[in-house]
Parts: sequence; structure tokens; C-alpha cells
Amino acid sequence: MRSMQLIIYWATCCALSLTAISLVAADDLAASNNQNTVDESQFAIPPAVEKLFQAKCVRCHNSDARKGELSLASGSDLFKGGESGASIMPGQPDESLLVEKIRQGEMPPDKNEHLSAMEIGIIENWVRSVSASESSKPLDQHDVVPILLRRCTPCHGRYRQEAKLDLRTADAVLRGGKSGPAIVPGKSSDSLLIQKIRSREMPPHQRLVEASIKPIEPLETETLARWIDQGAVQSPPAGPTSLGSSDPLVDREFWSFNKPQPLTVPQLEHHADRAYNPIDHFVIPKLAEVGLELAPEADRVTLARRAAFDLTGLPPEPEALREYLGDPQPMAYERMIDRLLDSPHYGQRWARYWLDMAGYADSEGKREQDLPRQNAWRYRDYVIEAFNKDKPFDRFLREQIAGDELVDYESAPEITQEIYDNLVATGFLRMAPDPTWANITGYVPDRLEVMADAMDVLGSGVMGLTFKCARCHSHKFDPLPQRDYYRLVDIFKGALDEYNWIRPEIHPGIGPVSQDFIGGRSLPFVTTAERRAWENGQSAIDAQIAALKDKPDSQAQIKALESQRTPEPAIHALWDQGDPSPTYIYRRGDPLSPGQLVSPGVPLMLFSEALSFDVQPPWPGSKKTGRRLAFANWLTDPDHPLTARVAVNRLWKHHFGTGIVKTLGNFGKAGTPPTHPELLDWLAIEFVRSGWSTKAIHRLMMTSATYRQQSQVGPQQLKLDPDNQFYSRMPLVRLDAEALYDTMLMVAGKLDDSVSGPPVKLAVQADGLATPMGTQRGYRRLIYVQQQRKIVATHLENFDYPQMNPNCLERRDSLVAPQALYMLNNKMVYELAESFAQRIENEVGDEVSGQIDRAHLIALSRTPGDEERKLSSAALERLREQWSRDPSTDSAKARHLALTTYCHALLNSAAFLYVD
Amino acid sequence: MSNSEQTQSTRRHWMQGVASGITGAALAHLLAAESGGTRLAATEKGIEADKRWQDLQSRPPHFPARANSVIHLFQNGGPSQMDLFDPKPYLDAHHGQSMFDKIAGEVENPFSAGAIMRSPFKFAQHGQCGMWVSDAMPHLSKRVDDIAFVRSMYTTNLTHEPAVYIIQSGKMGPGRPTIGAWTVYGLGSECQDLPAYVVLDDPLGLPVNGVENWQAGFLPPLFQGTRFRSSGSPVLNLRPDFDRPEEVVQQERDLIASLDRLHKLQHPGQSVLDARIASYELAARMQLSATDALDLSQESADTLEAYGIGRAPTDSYGRRCLIARRLIERGVRFVQLYINVHIWDTHTNIAADLKTACDRTDQPIAALLSDLKQRGLLDTTLVVWGGEFGRLPIAQLPADKDERKAGRDHNKNAFCSWMAGGGIRGGTIYGATDELGLHAVEDRVSVPDWHATMLHLLGLDHEQLYVLENGLKEKLTGVNPARIIEGILA
Repeated sequence: MRSMQLIIYWATCCALSLTAISLVAADDLAASNNQNTVDESQFAIPPAVEKLFQAKCVRCHNSDARKGELSLASGSDLFKGGESGASIMPGQPDESLLVEKIRQGEMPPDKNEHLSAMEIGIIENWVRSVSASESSKPLDQHDVVPILLRRCTPCHGRYRQEAKLDLRTADAVLRGGKSGPAIVPGKSSDSLLIQKIRSREMPPHQRLVEASIKPIEPLETETLARWIDQGAVQSPPAGPTSLGSSDPLVDREFWSFNKPQPLTVPQLEHHADRAYNPIDHFVIPKLAEVGLELAPEADRVTLARRAAFDLTGLPPEPEALREYLGDPQPMAYERMIDRLLDSPHYGQRWARYWLDMAGYADSEGKREQDLPRQNAWRYRDYVIEAFNKDKPFDRFLREQIAGDELVDYESAPEITQEIYDNLVATGFLRMAPDPTWANITGYVPDRLEVMADAMDVLGSGVMGLTFKCARCHSHKFDPLPQRDYYRLVDIFKGALDEYNWIRPEIHPGIGPVSQDFIGGRSLPFVTTAERRAWENGQSAIDAQIAALKDKPDSQAQIKALESQRTPEPAIHALWDQGDPSPTYIYRRGDPLSPGQLVSPGVPLMLFSEALSFDVQPPWPGSKKTGRRLAFANWLTDPDHPLTARVAVNRLWKHHFGTGIVKTLGNFGKAGTPPTHPELLDWLAIEFVRSGWSTKAIHRLMMTSATYRQQSQVGPQQLKLDPDNQFYSRMPLVRLDAEALYDTMLMVAGKLDDSVSGPPVKLAVQADGLATPMGTQRGYRRLIYVQQQRKIVATHLENFDYPQMNPNCLERRDSLVAPQALYMLNNKMVYELAESFAQRIENEVGDEVSGQIDRAHLIALSRTPGDEERKLSSAALERLREQWSRDPSTDSAKARHLALTTYCHALLNSAAFLYVD
Repeated sequence: MSNSEQTQSTRRHWMQGVASGITGAALAHLLAAESGGTRLAATEKGIEADKRWQDLQSRPPHFPARANSVIHLFQNGGPSQMDLFDPKPYLDAHHGQSMFDKIAGEVENPFSAGAIMRSPFKFAQHGQCGMWVSDAMPHLSKRVDDIAFVRSMYTTNLTHEPAVYIIQSGKMGPGRPTIGAWTVYGLGSECQDLPAYVVLDDPLGLPVNGVENWQAGFLPPLFQGTRFRSSGSPVLNLRPDFDRPEEVVQQERDLIASLDRLHKLQHPGQSVLDARIASYELAARMQLSATDALDLSQESADTLEAYGIGRAPTDSYGRRCLIARRLIERGVRFVQLYINVHIWDTHTNIAADLKTACDRTDQPIAALLSDLKQRGLLDTTLVVWGGEFGRLPIAQLPADKDERKAGRDHNKNAFCSWMAGGGIRGGTIYGATDELGLHAVEDRVSVPDWHATMLHLLGLDHEQLYVLENGLKEKLTGVNPARIIEGILA
């Protein structure tokens, strides 16, 4: 009830045209305050009530501060309500939000300010006396367009215009369709629109589900009729207003909302000899403040292993290790780092962090039939390549946010690698779990969830802001009013439009799907080379089949040829369709409660004159809005306060264990303040200065003395820096799921190093055990294994692979008994131990001490210590003896089985799982 | 004390002994099995609280608890309230009348919507409380005085997947911790040889949303449900998938232990390495305790008979109910029972299909309540029964429009769930629906209310049970206020 009536109260404040796009986005409110002159006498509040409001409420709810978008400074403001909807319901104090908040003592927030029973009574009596007409205003198009959008436009909208009728705008309604104008202004009962609705002919009940809409509510019909009866008024569009810097809701003072300031690297008074680069100049003094210094430098073997795992997710191969250990020249360490950065394994490692942040998955999720995303893997390959090629990070972001608006791919004579990459990159915004391919989970609220997930990933992962909070109410901690969330949503409306929704690709036989089905999310623009190769393959098959056609008994051969056909290559992408629906603030996040119209814009708290958000068509004649391109350019401006900081902080976290800002996705007031703010800013500036080179930052971080510390922890460090927030040592790190799996493959000599392509499938047992399938050469790295949301490799599940719902900014690092059960009892792990043993036998033969040395070198990058050697020899001898007790086992087999057991134990050892 | 009870109590004692056998530091860290603790809720107590909330050690609730463990009998599919617990004479009187236009927006499948349909089941009043139960549940109707029925539940989505996410985790969509995960996060476990949160799923198949029903979401994986299979190996990889002589297994285990001790000596101050060693010891103990908990041959013939074990159609669910009791006895905090997908999803043939669903579960559930009561466990165990939504008062017709095969479509605006046991006032009938059973109208209970009440009975304040996720306070009940259902509390 409340939600419907507030549309009525809202009338005068929405004075923008549907198409107005302003350069900067604060115009909406300015417009609502200036455009319509309001006759205040119409909304008189009795003096006693006004006095109470003045005393208790208007300090926060005045026309400037407008906490919760509500002002109680005047009657007209009061009747407008706030971001939660109408503040009062005429005649019904029990239904009025304002009364409820006061009664419950929620307002005013200060307990000492609470209203007395008598004061509450005064307000209740007044609310009871207000009549509906007093609070209602003439309606305009903004009261009816949202109703038409949600009830009618699937069949009378952009993609389908049954009876040639378009109901998306007031003008189109007046224009009408095949049967003439849909309305007669001033006469609702003569208006076809109202007649069809009242007779229940429209929207047709039996077809609601196929279009994923709900029936129109009687109050909505009433609103439509009233708007028509009042003359079908359309408020004029407001001209763009310049952005004031005085929006009272927006506090720009917070450190992360202002750009990093250049600073000089501090001189070191003590321990200057320890510093390798500026990073140490920031770390050493902080350590000194708490009475600590850098831990001693780790030995070369430790550094080699740490660096290899950090950059490639794999241990150093014995040969690579020998090269580094045997390099007597200065800069040997730096050269080793460079070799690792040049390895294709680097991208396979670092793409994983990005894919976690983006929420990569090979399926849609949310529904029982976990619909596959056939072409998602191209995005995975794109990210791996981007890291390997050190694609400048600003370009990397621009492609992922607005790749479709960078180059006109539709009229390009040839699809180059660059155009292909641009389009594949937009898969970033398509990673959210998505059930909307099915009609019963494809309603507007379901679509809004998908959009909210995409905004959440972008907000927390890239911008370090918890935007999701502002979807239903203004942010509780950060100066992010609710309207800023909807401004952001409006930037993406050209592609993510809840009223012109492009559904996920549907495959035959998957279940009931909607008739309101637009296109699918695939684009055919793979590179011209790939397309030709595919076409040639198809023609070759066609030719062979044609040749066989007339021959007798060729059916089987033809069938075999047909099965060699591959589906047409396509890209899982997002693109601007042009002509987006208008965006209204949804009060409390409820699409049935539309508030103000907004236009696309960036969060005001990040606005500065220097950062432009300039919406232009991406190229002349383009139908695309260009909004996302404007946003991407704004986001990657060198002066952006957050982008570089958030990115270097994530790099830092993955090298040093914790971020300088621990909350990787929250740089706002509820996030953790940076432990080393100057260092963070210096790194951010350095990142931009290097041309947004991720590899440059790796080099910088990894060549610091801070990074080269050993991981040994002493009592002083435990006492003075228990959480290692001052970086008084390097952390002892447990291998994550991928590093552990890939490393087992590598030591076993079973790593199939092929790159890219569709994911490896899982073999799933009846009891749920899911194991990646092998290839002819062994097994591929885990990043190339299928990641459906509902079936994940058991290995991943055991070692903290996150649920991508929607994404994961920081993985867990758990230590639980099922991991031990898996490592001890799983068949694949045992078979890898056997291959590992085989490899050792091939390389060094079957002499015990040689086997032990080699096993250590391969698995742990070092030779065993005396104690280890003693323990290991005794165990291996004993195992040989135990295995040979079985009469059916000859001595060679017993030696092999014993070594297998020994290797299995090494894979299960802490030294294998933890990196210093 | 009966013989079997004595054995039980000795066993429990023994297990506690084993648990304390690990050196204090190692155990403490094993249980504090997560590094990077800053992500978890830091309360006023700061870092202390941080560490406490990352382990499975038993910890005091916010206030005295009425129940300290939960058996959640999840009924996936949407049990029909007006055919089980909420009789509607209006439907008898208006059987056959159309009301589609009034409720078109509430019907998932409008093309199959029929007219108002009376219940094919007969209702009678039972127990001291006079609760109405239909003849589909003859066994449960004898236990109504232990149960508080809530007839005024409602939810916000009428499709299985989203509605199941909501009832399990409070939010429409995957990725949030479930009520079981929150419970063990808040309270830890009384038993360190078994998982704190055990899921007993049906060998016939998983419910809707599969393993997402017991996910830990953004809580550490330590708090997610662990599936115990009621036949075969109870836990994945509990036993090796390959054969080796026992002495080799022992030799390898010793070798790992020695290598790890050596490694630990070279890394003083890294308590995570003690925990690593302990996790391998725990894995070994779990092999024993999990097998033991599932060994129903230790139960008397009378007990097996009472649960309907050994005969169709009750055997499968009966086993899971009995295993649930055995797990609760061993100190498992949260046990969740499932039946294969959708047995309550009676779109067609409601007369036969609803009966089948009841026949499979009615006797085992009634037996579980009696058994818990008899053993004095019902006072401290909260038993929760319910699905994700209810059903409509109108018929849903098959393609041939044969009314004899009619069922009912989903209804998000009214359903019936119940709780029994610790802290619950047995024999309560709470809330009411309208004359059709279409909407909950009196004392409406939202899903967050239901969750808040469960936590309340466990001594947890739903406002105080939160984690800091990316700097934000995340709670089971979300940002809107939730209310404790005082009317069903003892």
C-alpha cells in the first residue's frame, strides 16, 4: 500500500526529462529544488507540530543536510518523503514511517532527545487529521512511466511492439498504436489503455510468466487513470545544472577520497644499509617506532622458492634453481625475478587473483540446472594474457568496463586481436551468478540482483567502495547517498537494463524459458583468423560429406564427420544497446517504489574539477550511450583517488600476506585504515608513473629488503608485532588450492603445460568426489579446469576455493582435518606420488640416498638436512622391507612401492605445504 | 540407566579424554584453524574475540541458552499447509469456484491454475492443545503437545531456488552462511572428533541448491556443514582409495609425524605448524568416531522398529533420524536432515503424493521426538521442521485438466513450520492465515523472525552475531529488524 501511495506524493519533485544526460550528476536534486515552485500554503503544518520538528528533527533533516534524503523543514518537503518512502500516510499514524520511528525511539537517535508520550500524541493527532488530497499533487510522466515499464513494455516496448504499440514513454503512449492513441488526455474512461487494463484483457494473465512480469495492481491502474484525467501532464526536462561542491551529504575530507599527494621518500637515520629501495625507507622507520628492525635476509634457496611460488604458483625446477644459485654476479636475484616474470606461468598465477575478484565461473548458477557459460573461458585466457603481456592496468580496466565502446567492431573490416580482446574483456561485467534465463527467475527483481552483484564486484574489487550498501539506503559510513548508487547503475543502463534485459544463452532442453528473450549474450566477433579457421574446418567437412553422399554405406562415415563439427565460435560479452530505460531511485531497493529520476554520474564524494566524466557517443553515429566509456576514462584518470591505490594494495597483499589496507575491498570509513599510508600513496603514484605496469610493481616489491626478509619469528617480533602489521618478517604461507595441486603435478612430472582453450572437465563419482580429467600428457593446471558453480573439484573445495557468489576478494586459509584425509587417502594424490617416484627412479636410479636427495630437491628445492636424511633413509629401508614381505611383490616392485610411499609422505609433509 | 545409555556415556567420556590428550597449544591452534583473523568480528574485546571466533571450541552464548543443539528437518519443496496443519472449511464450502483473477500475480504457473480446491485429507484435533492435524500424519499427531506450530510464516519469493536460499541463509541468492554455519560460528562445538555441523543427505539425491544448502559463505570453511553419508564411507576420503599393508600405512604416518616435528623445530614460534600436526592426528581419530556414530547395530531392535528402520517406506529417513540422535548425543551442535528433491512439491496428485511424503517421514520424526524426550535430550535440543514456502488454496491442473490429478502451486505468502524441544512451549498454535490459507494475517512471522528465534533459543542475539566482512557487519537476519517469536517460547 505504502509503496503505491508514495508515487502520488512524489509528483512534483521529479522534473527531469527521461533523456537528460548531464555532464556531472548532481543536477537531479538541484532540479527538484528549483524547477517547480511549490505553494507552501497547500502543505501547512500546525505550529505545535512544526515546533516539535524544529526542536527535534531539522538539525539533520533540513533542506541542506537531508539525512536519509528527508527534510522536515517545510510541509512540501515533508510530504515528499525520504529514501525510505513517504514519511506520513494521511489519516493513518500507525502506517506512517515518521510516527513509527519516533515511537520506537529510533528517532531522534540521541536517547535524551526522545519525544514524550504527549509530544508523540500531538504528531499522531495531526497525521490523523491530514487528508489524502492535502498531500497529493498533480501527477506527471514520472508517476506512470515506471508502471508502464514494469507491467507493459515486455510486449509493448523496444524489442516487441505488439499492436504496434510502444508504452515506454509518455509521448509514445500519446502516439499510440494500431488502434490509435492509447490515451485520451482528460478522459481516462475513454482511454484504450485504461479500458484494456480494467477489462483485465491487459496484461494478459495467462502470458504473465512467459514475459516474466506480474499483474498490474489496482492502485497502479488508479494512478494511470488519475494522470490521464489530470491531462496527462509531462513535466519539462530540466537543463543541466553545474555540480556544486556543497552537497551536504558528501564529505570529501576522508583520506581515500582525495588523490595521493606526491611525497619525498624519507631519509633513513638507522639501518640505511639494509634498504634496497624506497619501500624499505617507509617500512624501516615504522618498525623502529615499535622497537623492531627488519629480520635478516633469507638465504638464496628460500628466496628462490618464495619468488617462484609468488610469481608462478610453482616451485623452481631444479635447473632453474641451479642457474640462480650458481650466478655469482651482482643482480643475480633481480635476474631471477625477471626470468619468473617472463614465464607464461606468471600470468596463469596472477590471473587467478583477478578471476577471484571478478567472480569467474563457467556456469550461471542460482538455478538447479547450472546453465553452462560456454564461452566464459575466453575471458580467463584474456586475463592470463593481459598479465603475461603486462598490459597497462588502465587499459586493462578500460577494456573490461567499456571494451565494446572502444572500437566500432560492427563496421570493422577485420576483427583484429585488439577488437577481440576488447569484447572478451567485457565478460568481466557478466560474471555475476544469473538465473534470469528461466522465466520464473527472470523477473525485474531477479535482474536487479544480477546488476547489484555486478556493481558490487566493480565497487569493492576495483574501486574499494562498498556500493552495495547504498542500494537500499544511503551508506551508513561513507558519504554515498542512495542516489549515487542509482547514478552508477544508470551508467551501465545501456547494457544492464532491467526493462530491456538480455538473457543468458539458452540451450535446448534446459527447461521453461521466457518468450521475452532478447538475443543472448554472445557476439560472433572472434578474430578474423579464428573465424576463417573455423569456416575452413566446416567447409572441409562439408566437402568430405558431399564426396561421400552418393556412395553406398557411407552413413557411418558421414556421422563421424558430422561429430567433428564444432559450434560457431562466439564471445561471452556485454555491450551497449543504446536507448536505455530511465533510472529511478528504488526506495529501499524496491522496484515497486520508484523515487527520483537520476542521470548517469560518478559518486559525488570522488568528484573533482580535475576528473572529468564526459559522456559522448563513442564514435560519430554510434547508437551506444558512451556512458561506460566515460566512466572507464574517469576511473583510470591518473588523478583518480582510488583506482591505483586499490590495485597496488592488492598486489602488496599477495606478496606480503596482508594489505596495507587490510580490507582489500573497503577503503571507506568502515574499512581498516592503512598501516603505511605514505607507502601506499608512494606505490600508487609509482604505479601510474610506470605506465600502470603491474610487472614494474612486482619488481619493486620483490627487490625490497622487506620482501627479502626471512620468515623466522622470534619472541620480540611476536610480542611487538604479533600480527605482522609492521612487516617485521615475511609470513610463512600455506600453498593455496591451485599452487598445491599444480605443484603436485609438477613434481610428479605430470604437468601438461598447454595453454588456453575450453576448460578441462571433471569426472564426478556417485559419492560426489570430483577429479579433473587427465590429458595425454598428464593434467593441466587448475586454472584451466572447469569451474561450475555447483560442481567444483574436491581438491579445490578442500583447500578453500571460494564460492563465486558473486566473487572473492580474499581467500581463506583454513587448516582442517578433511584436508589431511584428502591428502592421505585420495587416489589421484597417491597416483601422483607414484609418478613422482617413477621420475626419481628415471633420474637417479634406485639407490636410497640418491633417491632421497633427488626427492627433496624436486619437492622442496633443497637437499635434506642431516636429521631428515637419517629419518628418511631409515624409513625408506624399512618400507622396502615391508613391501617385499608380500610374496607376490618382486624386489624391484617393492623398491618402487617403497619410494612411492616415501614420496606420498613428502607430499603430505608440512615442508611441502608451507613456503618460508 | 540402561546398558546402552551407560555405554554411550562412557564413550562420550572417552572421546573428551582423547580430545584433551593433544597438547594444549596445538589443540588451541588447531581449533583456531584460520590465519588472517582480522576478517572476523572484532568486538569490544578486540583481538581476544577475534581468535575465539575462528575455532570450533565450545564457547558461551550471549545469554543463557534454552537449547544447545539443533536438529533441522528441512522439508524441501513446500509442504501444503492447508492439507497438513491449517484446515480451511472455506475451501470445502467454495470448492470449484474460480478466484484466479484475484491471485494471478501469486501463481508461478498461471496456465495450469484451477479453481478453489478443498483438501482431500480429513482433519481432527489432537493432544491437550487441540492442534488440528490431518490424517496424513497419524504419528506426528500424537506428539503435538511437544510442538509449537507457526501457521503464519511467509517469505518473499515463490520459486524453489531463491526461496530455499532465503530460508537457509536469509538472503535470496547463494554466498551467505546458512543458519547451521552461523550457529557453529557462534557456539563452537561440544565434540572435537566430529564436525560441528553435520548434514545427513538422502542417498536418492540432494535437495534444490545442492551443497549450497550448508555453505559457510563468507565465514571460514571450518563452519560449513559436513556431509555424512548414511551408507558406505560416511565422509569423502575417510578411507584410502587404494590398498596398502597396515604396517606401511603406520610407517608412513610415523614418517610424516617425524618430518613435521623436525620442520616445526626449525620454525619456532609458528604455532600453525603445531596445528598442522594436530590436524593429521584429528583426521585419524575422525576415522574412528565417524564410523562409530553411524553404526546403528549398537541400537536395540525396539529402537530400530520405532523409527521404522528395516522396512519401506520409512527405512531411509528413519536411519537419518536415528543417526541425528546419535550425533546429538556425541555433542554435534547442528544436524541437518534432507530428503531427495521436492517430495513436498505436490503440483499434481496431491492426495497421493502428499501422503507418500508423509509416509516416508511421519513415523521417523515422531519417533525421533519420543526418543529424544525419553533420553532427556529434548530439553536441550531444538527440533525444527519446515520447508521454503507453502501452497495455494486453488488447484493446479495437469495438461489434460483432469481434476482427480490436481495439485497445488507454490505460495510465498503463507506456510506452516514448527519447532519442538529446548525452550519451546509445547502445544502452541501460533499465528493464523486468512480464511483461504492464502495469506498469513495474524502474528505474521518472516524468515528473519524465524531465524532470530532459533538463534535466541540457542542463547545468541541475532543483532550481536555478526562478522566484519570487508569492513561491514554481516548478520544472518540482514539489515531490517527481526523479531523473536515470544509466543512460542516456554
